[in-house]
Amino acid sequence: MAWQAPAVRAVAGPPRAAVTTWLGWAALAGALLWSYRGTAADIGAVLGPEGLAQMAAYGRRLFPPDLSAPLLREVAIGASETFAISFLGTLLAVLIAFGLVFFASANLAFAGLLFEMERPVVRGLRLLLYGTARGLLNLLRTVPELVWAILFVFMVGLGPFPGVLALGVHTAGVLGKLFAEVLENVDPRPIEALQGTGARRLQVLAYGILPQVLPHFVSYSLYRWEVNIRVAAIMGFVGAGGLGQRIHIAISLFLEHQLLTLVLAIYALVTAVDALSALLRRRLL
Amino acid sequence: MYQAEGLTKVFPGEIRAVDGLDLKIGAGERVAFIGPSGAGKTTLFRLLNCTLKPTAGRLWVGGREVAHLHGAALRAARRRIGTIYQQHNLVPRLPVIHNVLAGRLGTWSTTRALLSLARPVEVEEAHRALQQVGIPEKLYARTDELSGGQQQRVAIARALLQDPDIILADEPVSSVDPTLAAGIVHLLTDISRATGKTLVVNLHSVDLALATFPRIIGLRDGRVLFDLAPAAVRDETLAALYRGAPATGPAEGALDAPLDPATSCRPLPRV
Repeated sequence: MAWQAPAVRAVAGPPRAAVTTWLGWAALAGALLWSYRGTAADIGAVLGPEGLAQMAAYGRRLFPPDLSAPLLREVAIGASETFAISFLGTLLAVLIAFGLVFFASANLAFAGLLFEMERPVVRGLRLLLYGTARGLLNLLRTVPELVWAILFVFMVGLGPFPGVLALGVHTAGVLGKLFAEVLENVDPRPIEALQGTGARRLQVLAYGILPQVLPHFVSYSLYRWEVNIRVAAIMGFVGAGGLGQRIHIAISLFLEHQLLTLVLAIYALVTAVDALSALLRRRLL
Repeated sequence: MYQAEGLTKVFPGEIRAVDGLDLKIGAGERVAFIGPSGAGKTTLFRLLNCTLKPTAGRLWVGGREVAHLHGAALRAARRRIGTIYQQHNLVPRLPVIHNVLAGRLGTWSTTRALLSLARPVEVEEAHRALQQVGIPEKLYARTDELSGGQQQRVAIARALLQDPDIILADEPVSSVDPTLAAGIVHLLTDISRATGKTLVVNLHSVDLALATFPRIIGLRDGRVLFDLAPAAVRDETLAALYRGAPATGPAEGALDAPLDPATSCRPLPRV
């Protein structure tokens, strides 16, 4: 029997892979345990009888929703504000991202077939521009919307406008990264051919690159709009207008019936925007 | 039209794609390059159409040295060279007319180019070019709905609109049905003959090259192995060119087969 052992081992594959797999699982388990303790997580508090009873009691207090005419008018204003914040904010983001992204993708900024014949000095300068655009997009993206909102509230005062600015600036960073990925996956062959006709870079952009990427740009923008309608709904917690501001007040003053109405309004608004965006995206692709 | 002295292109990793190549091609000549895959033909074409910069050696196009060309002068030089590629070099989502009109980009201002995307200009010229390549009815079709052969015709129509002094065709028929291949190559030689444009092609099909072109250049390992009239190209010459590359060169015994470009064009697998 002894002579069979090597053959079986050869079929089973190299043992090294197994070791790394086990290390991976161990790391995952370690991270889970560490995070669980670090966040003082307590499943008992959520699913225990006391926790559930508390939840049920609060739920009962929410009913019935307040459907009085003055509140409904207030909700309608808040909802339209939230909608406007998400819409204008996303539009602003698209404009900023579109302006920056062509410098932030390597194949359009300094590398590849478009720049093979370029003088080293020019390529160096373009590399610098690329680094700047990348860094700027990273900064916009890594600062969260709510932090931007607080900064803009300081700058321009309370209301929906700082919400628009905050959404626009943060989402510009997110869309910039997504757009850049689309641009870097563009098929270079049509671009090479267009350049070969003696076309300028802007002409190559209009004829060879935009037709390839624009549908993806629009699709990503619509998707971020869906995300932003949810973010816009909580912008008001830091004073940046919309339904969030009313929810913040309702929670602070224990106006539970009003709170339920507001939450239902958010549910309706988000569902409506999701459906609209999904419809537009289907039409597009 | 072209003059090269010691032309060399080295890619990162010390890959010498084109290696000290000397070459002279006169105005109005029709030249076919043949050779095994990896011989450096595509790289040579990218040097010839001013897409790549030589690592060493010198290259002149129409009397101007390519390495010194930048900006507007570089665009002007490119405008005079029309390239037809193997495949996939059209913009698939654009209607055919814009792909054809793209041949005019080198002469158009950016504004005119943008306006034409909204409302095509020079439609008459685009239509005539498509007529010349035999698919006038495809003027407003979406390019990705066309067959490979039709797309190659659109690429030729684009080159016609560009109206260059030199037509480069890099494996123009390797993705096309063999019976169509001869037709497309003949279309190119007819254009060259009628207009006096220099025609330089790069062909997988040795038989088609020998039957159609008055000058055959064999390229191997980035160097010119031979530069002969087709009558002077012998079986031993070809055997030396394709030695050690059975998968990409003509099959054993195929060299003895009668030369009939209409039927014996073999698109060979790329490795």
